[in-house]
Amino acid sequence: MSIQVENLYKSFRVHVRKEGWTEALRSLFKREYQTVEAVKDVSFTIDTGEIVGFLGPNGAGKTTTIKMLAGLLHPTSGNIEVSGFKPQEQRNEFKKIMSLVMGQKSQLIWDIPPMETFLVNKSVYEIEERVFRQTLDELVELLELEPLLGKPVRNLSLGQRMKCELAASLLHRPSILFLDEPTIGLDVHTQEKVREFIAKYNREHKTTILLTSHYMGDVTALCDRVLIINHGKLLYDGELQVLTERLTPYKLLEVRLPSISDVSWERFGEVVSFEDGKLTLRVARDRVAMVSSELLANFDIHDLNIQEPPMEEVITLAFQEESHAS
Amino acid sequence: MGRYWRIFKEFFRTCLVEELEYRSEFIGNLLSSLFGIIVSILMVQIFFYQTDQLGGWAYADVLILLGIYNTLQGLIDFALRPNMPRLLLHIRMGTLDYVLTKPVDSMFFVSLRHLNFWRLIDVLLGMGLTVYGLVEKQWVPTFLDVVFFCVTILSALLIIYSLWMLLMTTAFWVIRMDDLSFLFTSFFETTRFPITMYKGWMRIALTYLLPAAFLTFTPASALLGMWDVQTTIMSGFVAIIFFWLARRFWKFALANYTSASS
Amino acid sequence: MLVKYRAILRMKYVEMFSYQLSTMVWMFGTMVQPLITMMVWMNIYPDQGDAFILYFISLIMVERLTSAWDVWEMDRQIREGTFSYQIVRPFHPVHWAIAENIVYKGLFLVVLVPCWIVLSIFLPSLKLQLSAGQWGLFLAALLLGAIIRFSVSFLFGILGFWMTKVTALYAMFETVSLFISGRIAPFSLLPPVVKQISIFLPYRYMIGFPLEILTGAYDTHTLLVGFTGAMIWSVLLIGAICWLWKAGLKKNQAVGG
Repeated sequence: MSIQVENLYKSFRVHVRKEGWTEALRSLFKREYQTVEAVKDVSFTIDTGEIVGFLGPNGAGKTTTIKMLAGLLHPTSGNIEVSGFKPQEQRNEFKKIMSLVMGQKSQLIWDIPPMETFLVNKSVYEIEERVFRQTLDELVELLELEPLLGKPVRNLSLGQRMKCELAASLLHRPSILFLDEPTIGLDVHTQEKVREFIAKYNREHKTTILLTSHYMGDVTALCDRVLIINHGKLLYDGELQVLTERLTPYKLLEVRLPSISDVSWERFGEVVSFEDGKLTLRVARDRVAMVSSELLANFDIHDLNIQEPPMEEVITLAFQEESHAS
Repeated sequence: MGRYWRIFKEFFRTCLVEELEYRSEFIGNLLSSLFGIIVSILMVQIFFYQTDQLGGWAYADVLILLGIYNTLQGLIDFALRPNMPRLLLHIRMGTLDYVLTKPVDSMFFVSLRHLNFWRLIDVLLGMGLTVYGLVEKQWVPTFLDVVFFCVTILSALLIIYSLWMLLMTTAFWVIRMDDLSFLFTSFFETTRFPITMYKGWMRIALTYLLPAAFLTFTPASALLGMWDVQTTIMSGFVAIIFFWLARRFWKFALANYTSASS
Repeated sequence: MLVKYRAILRMKYVEMFSYQLSTMVWMFGTMVQPLITMMVWMNIYPDQGDAFILYFISLIMVERLTSAWDVWEMDRQIREGTFSYQIVRPFHPVHWAIAENIVYKGLFLVVLVPCWIVLSIFLPSLKLQLSAGQWGLFLAALLLGAIIRFSVSFLFGILGFWMTKVTALYAMFETVSLFISGRIAPFSLLPPVVKQISIFLPYRYMIGFPLEILTGAYDTHTLLVGFTGAMIWSVLLIGAICWLWKAGLKKNQAVGG
C-alpha cells in the first residue's frame, strides 16, 4: 500500500463577516465563527505506481485533501499514511520521497534561470552529482528543456514554466507525486505534452501520482482510476471506465448521411440531434454493434463515428446522483 | 474640467465602497495614523530638547510646518501612492492598452484611479497639527496670509503631482522595480524641516533643482505671515513648468510605448 | 549542511544581480533620512560638525550592515501561497532567509567600504583609528546586532501565520527603533528617560551599541552592559523563533496555506 486514507475529516472555522458599522465594531471584540466542512469522511487507498485522478468542481475539497496528504494541513480527524509516514509529522525523510506541484504557484525562483533552482534542489535534497546529472539529462530530453535552461524564469511562457516546474519537482526521484491542477491555464498543445510526459514518467518509474483537476482531458488521458469528490464527500472511487458505463450506459453514434425525411430513427436509438446531414443517436452499449451494422446495411452512410459520451455528462450525472441520494 | 471632477468623484466612490468592505480596518488604520503623527511630533521634540530653534524657526513654527508636511504626505498616500504599483503591473502585463482605449486622459486615469481612502485620516491629523501649532503660537493668520497660503499650497500640490508623474513615467523603462515610490519618499523627507536649516549648495539644490522649498516651507511661511509676492509668483511659475515637463514626458513615454509594444 | 548553504548562497548571489537597480535605489534611498537628521544636528550644534558627520556616516554603515527585510519576503510568500513549497522541502526556511541576508550584507560591505574610504579623503573626521582589539569588539557587536535584527524580522515574519498586516506592525516597530537605537539622535543627546528604557529593549543592541564602539564613545561599563544585553537578547530571540516556528507551523497546518 502506498497511500492509505481512513475516515478523513477536515473542517475550518471561518469568521463570519456581517454588514453594517455596528457589526464591524462588534467584530473587533467578539467574533462569530462558522464551521465549514471541507472534507467529510473520505477513505481510499492507492497502490504504488497508480495514477489516480481526483475530480470535482471548485471548492469540492480536492486541494484540501491533497494538502493533507502532503503534510501541509493536518486533519481534524482520521488517519493518513503515505509510504509508511504520517504526513503531518513533516519528517525530512518523508519530504525526500514526495513532491508537490501546484498549478499556478511557482517554486522556481523568478528572476534567474531554472537551472539555478535545479542546483538548489540538488543540494537541498542531497542528490549525488552523478545521479543528478543522469536524472537531469533524462528530464531535459523528455520535456525538451534544452533551450529553456538558461533563460530567466520570468521570460518563459506559462507552458515552458510548467515543464520546468515538473522537472524541478522530479529531480530527487520522488516515489510519490502530488499534482494540484497542473494543466490549469495551459494551451491545449502544452496540456497534451504535459499529460504525455506524466504518463510516460509513471510508466518508466512507477511513481505513484495523485492528480487533482477540473479538466476532463487530464483525467481521461492519465487516470484509470478516479475519485470523485463534491462538497467534501467522496462520491465515487473506481475505474473511470466502470463509472462511465454505469452512469452512461450508452454511446453516441454520429452518422453522416444525406437527409432522408421519412425514417423513424427511434427504433435504432434516442435521437440527440439531426441537422445538416449529421445524425447523432444515443445507443445502448450492448446494441452499438448491431445498430451500426443495420445502419450501414440499409442506408447510404457517408461516415459513421462511435463516441463515448462526453466526460462532463458522466460527471454531472455523478453529482446529480449525489444530490438525489442526499 | 467639470467632467474630470465628476470622474474623480466616481473613483472616490468606487474606492470608498471597496474599502468599506473591510470596516474593521478602520480601527487599525486610525491607530496607525495616530501613531505616525505622534512619532513625527516626538521626533521634533527630541531635537527641541537640545535647542529652541531650528533654522531660525521656533517649536510652534516647526509644528505648523510639520502639520503641512503630514497633510501633503497624507494626500500623496491617499491619491498617488496606490497607483504606482498598478501602473507597473499594467505595463508588465500589457493591460495598459485597456486604459489607453478609454475616452479619458490616460495620465489622469493612471495617476488617480485608485485611492486609499484611509489616508484621509492622515490629512485630517496633519491639518489638526497645523491648527495646534497656530494655537501654541497664539497666532491667527490674517486674510492675506490665508490667501497667500492657499496660492502656495496649490502650487505645492501641483509640483508634487508633477514630480510624482515624472517618477511614474520612468516605469516604462525601469520595469524591474517593484515600487518606485520609495524614491519620492526619500526626496520628500527633505521637506520635513525648514529649508533655512540647510546650508549653501544643499539649499540651492533644494530650491531650484528639486523644488523642495516650495512644498512645505513656502506655504508654512505664508501662513506665518512671512510671505512675499516674489516667492509666491516663483512657486506658481515652478509649478507650471514642472507640470508642463511631466505632461511632455508622459506623452513621450506613451508614444514610445505604443509604437514599440508587442 | 555546509554544502546546502553553499548552494543557496550561490543562488542568492546570482539572483542579486537581477535586482541591481532596486538594490542600489534602496541602499542609497535609506541614506536620506540619516543625512537630513545629521544636518539638523549640525544646525543645532555647529561646532560639533565633525563628530556628527562621523556619527551619522557610521550610522548609515551599521544600519545597512544589520538591515533585515525578511518580514516582507515571508508575508508575500504566505499570501501568495508559495510558502508551501518552503515547508514541503526538507530544509528549514530560516536558512533561506539567513543566506539572503549574508549575500546582501556582503554586497553592502563591498559597495560601502570603498565609498567610506573615498569620503574620508575629503572629510578627515572619517579617518578611523581603531586598534585591532577595537575592531574585534566592533565586529563582534556588529554581528550580534545583525543577529538580533534578523531574529526580530524573522519573528515578525512567523507572526504572518496569524496576522495579515504583519508588515504594518513591523513598520511601527522599526519606527520606534528610530528613536531608541540612535537613529534620530546620538544616545547621549536623548532625554534620560529614553536612555533608561533603551537598556532593556533590543533596539540599542541592534545599531546603537556597535555604533558606539566604532565612534569610540564607550567605556568599560558600556562594553559590559552592551555585550551582556546583546547576548541575552540574541538568545531570547533565537529561542522565540524556535518556539514560535513550531506554533506557526501548527497554525498553518490547521488553517492552510
